[in-house]
Amino acid sequence: MSEVITAPVLLDADDGHRLNRRMRDLVDAGTRAITVTNPRSRHNLGVGQHGPVTITFAGSVGYYSGGLNNGAEIIIERSAGWGTGEAMSAGRIEVRGTCALGTGASMRGGTIVVRGNCGPRTAANMKGGALIVEGNVGYLAGFMTHAGDLIVCGDSGEALGDSLWAGNIWVAGTIAGLGADAKVVETTDEESARIHGLLRAEGIDGTFDFKHVVAEQKLWYFDARDPEAWLRI
Amino acid sequence: MSDHGYTQGRSHIWTSETIRDIHAKAELGRYQIRGFSTFRKFPSWDDLVFLPAVMTRLPLEGYREHCETKTVIGGGKPDLVARPLELDIPVYLTSMSFGALGANAKMALGKGFTAAGSASSTGEGGMLDEERAAASKLIYQMTPSRYGLDLEHLRKADAIEVALGQGAKPGTGGLLLGMKISEKVAKMRSLPPGVDQRSCVRHPDFLGADDLQVKLEELREATDYQVPIFLKLAACRVEFDIKIAVKTGCDAILLDGAEGATAAAPEYQLDNCGIPLIASIRTARRAIEDLGMSGKVQLVVSGGIRNGVDVAKCLALGADAVAIGTSALMALGCNSIQYEDDYAALGTAPGACHHCHTGRCPVGITTQDPVLEARLDPEEGGRRVANFLRATMMELTGVAKSVGKKNVHNLEPEDLRATSLEASAFAGVPLAGVEWTVGPELFGGGR
Ligand SMILES: Cc1cc2nc3c(=O)[nH]c(=O)nc-3n(C[C@H](O)[C@H](O)[C@H](O)COP(=O)(O)O)c2cc1C
Ligand code: SF4
Repeated sequence: MSEVITAPVLLDADDGHRLNRRMRDLVDAGTRAITVTNPRSRHNLGVGQHGPVTITFAGSVGYYSGGLNNGAEIIIERSAGWGTGEAMSAGRIEVRGTCALGTGASMRGGTIVVRGNCGPRTAANMKGGALIVEGNVGYLAGFMTHAGDLIVCGDSGEALGDSLWAGNIWVAGTIAGLGADAKVVETTDEESARIHGLLRAEGIDGTFDFKHVVAEQKLWYFDARDPEAWLRI
Repeated sequence: MSDHGYTQGRSHIWTSETIRDIHAKAELGRYQIRGFSTFRKFPSWDDLVFLPAVMTRLPLEGYREHCETKTVIGGGKPDLVARPLELDIPVYLTSMSFGALGANAKMALGKGFTAAGSASSTGEGGMLDEERAAASKLIYQMTPSRYGLDLEHLRKADAIEVALGQGAKPGTGGLLLGMKISEKVAKMRSLPPGVDQRSCVRHPDFLGADDLQVKLEELREATDYQVPIFLKLAACRVEFDIKIAVKTGCDAILLDGAEGATAAAPEYQLDNCGIPLIASIRTARRAIEDLGMSGKVQLVVSGGIRNGVDVAKCLALGADAVAIGTSALMALGCNSIQYEDDYAALGTAPGACHHCHTGRCPVGITTQDPVLEARLDPEEGGRRVANFLRATMMELTGVAKSVGKKNVHNLEPEDLRATSLEASAFAGVPLAGVEWTVGPELFGGGR
């Protein structure tokens, strides 16, 4: 590993294609802070990055920013389009504005914090990690989530937690409607303490009365559980 | 005729099979699920014949001369794909997941296709280390469920396939019954062990073609523009689906016909959804040509391809390559005459088995049961698959040479005639004898 460079490197997103590759190369060469000065809502910014580095997008970004992130810290100073942090496995993404559809879709690890609201299908197919939304989430949040924590400090739209496999959804505000196979269970003191701990680590200090949404597990199996029944064909 | 104790009566509506099916549903309270492929009778590849060289052309020496089989996928966009998928033969292995298949089967297939200079594919459940090690060229499939999706695995792949549909169950997500969700399968898919996995059909982060276009760029950015990206489609509204697929910027399209197999699907889907491959290839080729993208975007087809002559017919109708699943499983020993008591315990027999959904595959292919799996030796299985592919290539090149082609990719629709009205209409080739194509003018019909 070469010498560590902590002074931020300024990158110009207008400066041609394959910005992501350049960022990865900079990190491998020791850069620990990168600022992209003019993201201008471009798609696919900060894709496939690894740490250790803090990448700041000084503005809004388009679709799939921070997608497939594998350990970088990514700060988006304004808002983000679809699929922010999709399939990320490690690292941290902070969006200071709002996010559109599919934030944290199929993420497996790491943390995403959204200071504003998120659109529909937030955390769809999520498989691990934590996704914290300070504002509200749209419909079908937590659709088919497998594992991890979706924490919503505001309200949730319709069909929350539809077809959940497992994992946890926490909503402090109102829930417009639960999806198929989702149910609300009591939040224990230990669970509440754990979730508040995750929030405090992200600088969110309030006290929330979370509703805990989990899988009812009725969609886990076909009704007929007799293995012999599958032979009747 | 007896059908599981039922006798076939005279009604064509209420056949013994229909009656048995209703009785089963009345008891079980759910639709029927099974493996294998449709039981519906479609016009088949057997309804097409080649016209070898006689006076108008010269054949090549079938037993001696070389006929080129090399196939390149993703070579049409050098600025986007640094490493096109270069195959010695125009046949590779379709996506069949670890989970649907046992690890030994995955390894055997990887070894067999590698020996033949070709590629295999991960399927839905993520990349198995043993499979990556066994296969010199491995395609990584990304399905809507995104089970086991991993950046490092994407980067280890030789191509990426984004699945949008499957011929056996178009418009429906993956299905794997609890009997096959072993601890290892569950871990790779982040699922509770033993659940009946019914997966989503829509991708979580794109809905239409415009979003998908951005998504494909994301995958290229993440993998540094190294490998080609395929879209897998079920054959449905072929012309429009293909045109929209090309527009997304993919490098190749895998079109899976309604004959395509599955490890488990609702039977109503298997037998009633999608259109057969024989009716799709010419339309797909024309759609790509209409956009001026032949040579830039490759067309791969799959579904019910059994032998080298079927491959030749697909290439002649316009495919650049084919992918096979079931015939490769048969080369491994599917439906072979062994362990007959175990077939009988499933209510079936060698030659008639379609029970992949149960996880109790008598020959150790579509199972996660260690006792059954041990029946399949990856080395021996790999050798059998390689042999099958060698024979398949002998048939493919043999027929191509008799037609007078030095390269299998030079086969063309004009080399074919149909022996049934339906096949003529579906494949858009003239009916033998009358030299008249049933169907639209587009393919010479109505002359
Ligand atoms: C055992 C088995 C497992 C399969 N798993 C997948 C899968 O994971 N993803 C997928 O897109 N298709 C899957 N398929 C479908 C195949 O990729 C392919 O579409 C089909 O097998 C082609 O038809 P053929 O078997 O007649 O060659 C599976 C098929 C079989 C038989
Ligand atoms: S023998 Fe095995 S692989 Fe073949 S159809 Fe039966 S269960 Fe499926």
